[in-house]
Amino acid sequence: MIRLSIALIILHSVAFGAALGQSFAQQRPLNAKTSASTIRLSIIPTFGAKPIVIGDSAFQAKDANNTHIDALKFYISRIQCLLKGVVVLEEAQSFHLIDAAKEASFHLTIQNKRGARFDGKFDAVRFHLGIDSATSVSGAMSGDLDPTRGMYWTWQSGYINVKCEGKSNACTARNNEYQFHLGGYKQPFDCLQTLMFPVSVSDTITIQFDVESFLSKIDMKKYHHFMSPSADAVRLSARAAESFRIVP
Amino acid sequence: MKTKIVFLLFFVVIGIAATAFRTSNDALFAVPKGWQKPAYNFQQNPLSKQKIELGRALFYDPILSRNGMVSCASCHSQYSAFTHGDHALSHGIHDSIGTRNAPALMNLAWQRVFMRDGAINHLDMQALAPISNPSEMGENITHVVAKMQATTIYPQLFAAAFGDSVITGERTLKAIAQFMLILVSSNAKYDSVMRKQAVFTAQERKGYTLFKKHCATCHTEPLFTNHQFMNNGLPVDSTLRDVGRFSVTQNPDDSLKFAVPTLRNIEFSYPYMHDGRFKRLSDVLHYYTAIALQNRTKNHTLAKELQTPIILSSDEKVDLTAFLLTLTDRIFLFNSAFSFPRNIVFETAKE
Ligand code: HEC
Ligand code: HEC
Repeated sequence: MIRLSIALIILHSVAFGAALGQSFAQQRPLNAKTSASTIRLSIIPTFGAKPIVIGDSAFQAKDANNTHIDALKFYISRIQCLLKGVVVLEEAQSFHLIDAAKEASFHLTIQNKRGARFDGKFDAVRFHLGIDSATSVSGAMSGDLDPTRGMYWTWQSGYINVKCEGKSNACTARNNEYQFHLGGYKQPFDCLQTLMFPVSVSDTITIQFDVESFLSKIDMKKYHHFMSPSADAVRLSARAAESFRIVP
Repeated sequence: MKTKIVFLLFFVVIGIAATAFRTSNDALFAVPKGWQKPAYNFQQNPLSKQKIELGRALFYDPILSRNGMVSCASCHSQYSAFTHGDHALSHGIHDSIGTRNAPALMNLAWQRVFMRDGAINHLDMQALAPISNPSEMGENITHVVAKMQATTIYPQLFAAAFGDSVITGERTLKAIAQFMLILVSSNAKYDSVMRKQAVFTAQERKGYTLFKKHCATCHTEPLFTNHQFMNNGLPVDSTLRDVGRFSVTQNPDDSLKFAVPTLRNIEFSYPYMHDGRFKRLSDVLHYYTAIALQNRTKNHTLAKELQTPIILSSDEKVDLTAFLLTLTDRIFLFNSAFSFPRNIVFETAKE
């Protein structure tokens, strides 16, 4: 009971803070340079230099292995901008499911947390590939984290950070099919990756996830299926992270 | 000035909402006297009568299964303490047999991880497992949501619970969790004795003493579980080859460890153990007093409490059983608020 009242007081003060933020905004309307308070971040899945076309049976990469991609989805979370190592922009509720089949999901407009100010100056961008452990143990979530998005394991709790499925001649499994579901939030199989890129100041950043490079790092004679957290999944998650690059 | 009024109003509204949350949560879920704080974070899913009713409907509705035949209650029926009455291994759609015995569902608000191996990390996420398991309900949550959208009843129930008729995976799971949260069993004779409203018979009292000596380190009061994973020495079933907690952690020290189950309502939750291998309580007591010696030495994860034999005379076994029967909570087992919701007519979804 006492604990609950304390929680209530906190709730009240949160409401207070929020209300305060609101009144600030009303008193001092944002100046004309509104665009500086947000950044645009595009995360584009590619195969080499080419865009990925999901579900297009005609799609065949010009790589030696004749690779198809039938599904590619991954989580980008906790997006931050930094200036000289200090966080200057941080998105609230920062969870984004990028789905190679849905172009609209590539383009994110990142706004600073409510009440926090951002003057558009930053020299690096940082984000997670995957979902952190605190979020992974917090029960049912909405939006991009809703389990209807098909990125939550069912028989064992946890989000799938990266899902990549398709066919490749290099893959020795039945029908040459590979299925990589990378995830796991608990040590020693924590698969979360942190990526950071220096940027020359601009409010539009484009980052590519080169799946050709990612798949080329997997020996598909040995590995066809990853369906649960493991040491290999941790290793492969790092390979996925290495396949992101910023477009200058 | 205007700003100030807006601000004040905001404050008042939040205040009222927060107070309403407090009173409703307290009225719908009370921590029994002397019990620890629940593990479930109610602030992330504040209880409401309407959400609980929605969760109850979902729990009893076979719409959650691919073929419309299996509901949660098929394997968790109230009269057997929400277990699969009399089934060693549960069976789901198309009569496919699972690999584990359905555990009793009660006092789940105090539990941090779920399943006999702890594979599930949050009560909200529990329902996804049976819904998606091909030998249980054989469905997926995305399709369940689509099926519910096509009914007339569910958009109404979701609107009553959440303020609008949008059906999402999150709302579905949180509603089912709310129903499971209110399944609190705290009105057994044992509880009355602890509250000094009743007294044990001489036999029950002797049984209680034996229980505290031999069983309570694992089946710890008042929940009758310490919420740990332990190996109580059962030989591995050669067809099921269930390694328990090891399958989740891949840590050899967790091999053959299973969640310590509650013993509340144990009279009704037979058969016993993760694979339902024992039908009667007498089988269980016989087992604990006769854990085979070779099993003691071969089994490196066997709990230290069981490494020396438990010796009970036949009279003592009777006493201990008498005590275990004081854990039966008829108010829980026959509470109509937990039973099939007769006011709701389930329809088969139009597809
Ligand atoms: C086909 C039978 C079956 C169906 C249907 C079923 N369950 Fe279960 N349930 C089980 C079995 C078996 C287990 C134990 C599985 C394990 O430990 O791996 C279990 C475990 C659980 C647990 C964990 C309890 C604990 O103490 O850890 C909860 C909670 C639960 N089920 C709720 C539900 C809900 C909610 C539904 C409906 C969405 C449901 N079950 C449908 C058989 C079933
Ligand atoms: C070292 C810890 C430990 C001790 C001591 C212990 N148990 Fe258990 N008990 C367990 C575990 C673990 C299980 C579940 C095993 C499984 O699922 O295979 C269990 C299961 C049971 C079950 C089956 C419950 C169900 O719903 O399936 C009963 C009944 C039981 N114990 C009674 C007792 C009694 C009576 C004593 C004292 C004589 C006792 N236990 C001592 C750990 C212990």
